[in-house]
Amino acid sequence: MYCVKCGVRLTEGVARCPLCHTPVWNPVCTEPPAQTFPDRYPMPPKSSRYPFLAFFTVVCMAVCLSALIFCLKTYNAVSWSGYVMLGIAVVYFSFFFPSWFDKPHPLVFLPLFFALTCGYLLYICLYNGGRWFLSFAFPVVMLVGLLCVVSVALFRYVKGGKLYITGGLLIAIGGSTMLIEMFEHITFGTKMFTWSLYTVSFFSLFGLFLLLAALIRPMREYLERKLFL
Amino acid sequence: MSKQWMRLDNAALIFPAVRSKRWVNVFRVSCTLTEPVDPNLLQQAVTQLMPRFPSMYVRLRRGLFWHYLEEITAPPTVREDYAYPLAHMQERELRTCCLRVLYFQNRLAVEFFHSLTDGTGGMIYLKTLTARYLSLRYGLEIPPGDGVLDWQEPPCREELEDSFLRHSGKFVLYDREPDALRLRGTYEPDFLHLTTGVIPTDSLVRAAHDHRTTVTVFLAAVMELSILELQQEHVPLAQRKPVKVTVPVNLRRLYGSKTLRNFVLTLNPGVDPRMGDFTLQELCDVMSCQLKAEATPQNMSGRIAANVTPQLNPVLRAAPLFVKNIAMRLVYSRRGESKGCINMSNLGLQRLPGAMAPYVSRLEFVVGVQRSYPNNCSVASYGRTTCVNMIRNIREPVLEQRFFSKLVELGVPVQIESNEK
Repeated sequence: MYCVKCGVRLTEGVARCPLCHTPVWNPVCTEPPAQTFPDRYPMPPKSSRYPFLAFFTVVCMAVCLSALIFCLKTYNAVSWSGYVMLGIAVVYFSFFFPSWFDKPHPLVFLPLFFALTCGYLLYICLYNGGRWFLSFAFPVVMLVGLLCVVSVALFRYVKGGKLYITGGLLIAIGGSTMLIEMFEHITFGTKMFTWSLYTVSFFSLFGLFLLLAALIRPMREYLERKLFL
Repeated sequence: MSKQWMRLDNAALIFPAVRSKRWVNVFRVSCTLTEPVDPNLLQQAVTQLMPRFPSMYVRLRRGLFWHYLEEITAPPTVREDYAYPLAHMQERELRTCCLRVLYFQNRLAVEFFHSLTDGTGGMIYLKTLTARYLSLRYGLEIPPGDGVLDWQEPPCREELEDSFLRHSGKFVLYDREPDALRLRGTYEPDFLHLTTGVIPTDSLVRAAHDHRTTVTVFLAAVMELSILELQQEHVPLAQRKPVKVTVPVNLRRLYGSKTLRNFVLTLNPGVDPRMGDFTLQELCDVMSCQLKAEATPQNMSGRIAANVTPQLNPVLRAAPLFVKNIAMRLVYSRRGESKGCINMSNLGLQRLPGAMAPYVSRLEFVVGVQRSYPNNCSVASYGRTTCVNMIRNIREPVLEQRFFSKLVELGVPVQIESNEK
């Protein structure tokens, strides 16, 4: 018995050619084909992370609860246990909570991490009666968060142009360090242009070098030849 | 008594590092007998071979700096085969035993995690296991030879050595190859399609000789021509990529090694379709020349050195395992699989001692799909039959259809068997 399309010989009794799926008509042979493999399927791979996550969640909750009870009993108020509870919440929701999902999307969880960090810093600031949150902590965390989210989005969704992206991001990082020093200057009254000039010049030069390498093909190929992994 | 352990050989180091939840590098050798397999006797044979093959009866363990293999105290339990070959070996299974012994009707099969051995080592284990099984079943006296080892002898040191370290050259040969075309299709999880082309060996040898080449090169050239045609139909000329077939070279033949562990390196002969069209004869000539030029002991020593040097580097050795794993994954994705479109792994003509030959009707070899190749091809010949096994994890059998039809056009009769329901 042969397939009329592929020309290959087929096992007696098959209903269609396994290569081109052309139906086979054989009035002489009515027997089903001999089985080459059984119908037994292996167990699908089980994810072993859920028991660990559940255990870790319970441990986190127990630590938070113990700290809260201890604080309430000792001081009749939430004192240092606020740091513990919120710190655990930040770590848990940033690093462990995404593992409950099969494919955690970084563009969802990365902003969540920075938002939580902001909330934690706000708590510390308010609890201590500080005045550094709005003028320093908030803009710095937002700036770093924005850079991270933009980098991830660009590397994830833009095909090619990795050198342009890396170069541009390095220049942006350099510029951000100057902004951070400016926030430091406004909030704490430190001197301007003490350390940020070094970082700005380093990151900007490195970024410009990568942009040049992206623009000049022979240079890019030379670097690729010399620095390949 | 403390358990024996051994380091992974140089080629084996990469496989634990690059395995994932969905993919692990496994291959299978199988033997079809003339009568149904008795699982109890097979279990007995598997148990009796434990002292003879200490490098096979092992489990994968994780150290601080390297993975290693640790001997197991109980032999693996023989199991009925699954609906498809090379079912995923989960981490738990690798931590128990890195090989599986399976049976179904007349066939007994052994599936190996690639860190244990390569196809040649696997075939030696299968032949010895089959010989022991047949001795238990029929009371045969099977003399050692033709790949069957004396099961009562202790293993010699040469069989357990890492031959890569011994045959590494003084100078490193780095090659800068362009990336090859990546075959694609609709991914099908949790099933592997196996299509076996059963071919009379004499007609295959005749067709290869008509093209003035060997069976391996002939099959690789037909495969390459099939891929070239598929690319021609779907990709405009300027965007076409080199088409290369990865051919493993058994280094035991080059260096006279007796090791039962991995001792194989791959070459990627191929052509760039942007240079023009190629006939089958031209492909045979090009690939034959490329393989002959590359597969020399001197050249291979340089290639071995390229793999061995990082393993011996004191700074890299001191890096913790998770750092090494990240580095090896990076290297593998950049250099490991990107240089070829498909494997063409040929174990060659297999022989068996005369006493067991009447009881064996077929020997087969199946290499699993690679991490980024959806197709793979492996070949083994025994007696008058050559089995060309093509495996895929995608829905479309376009490459198989093209390849086997081309063989038929060239006057090579092909009978197709498949595990599709």
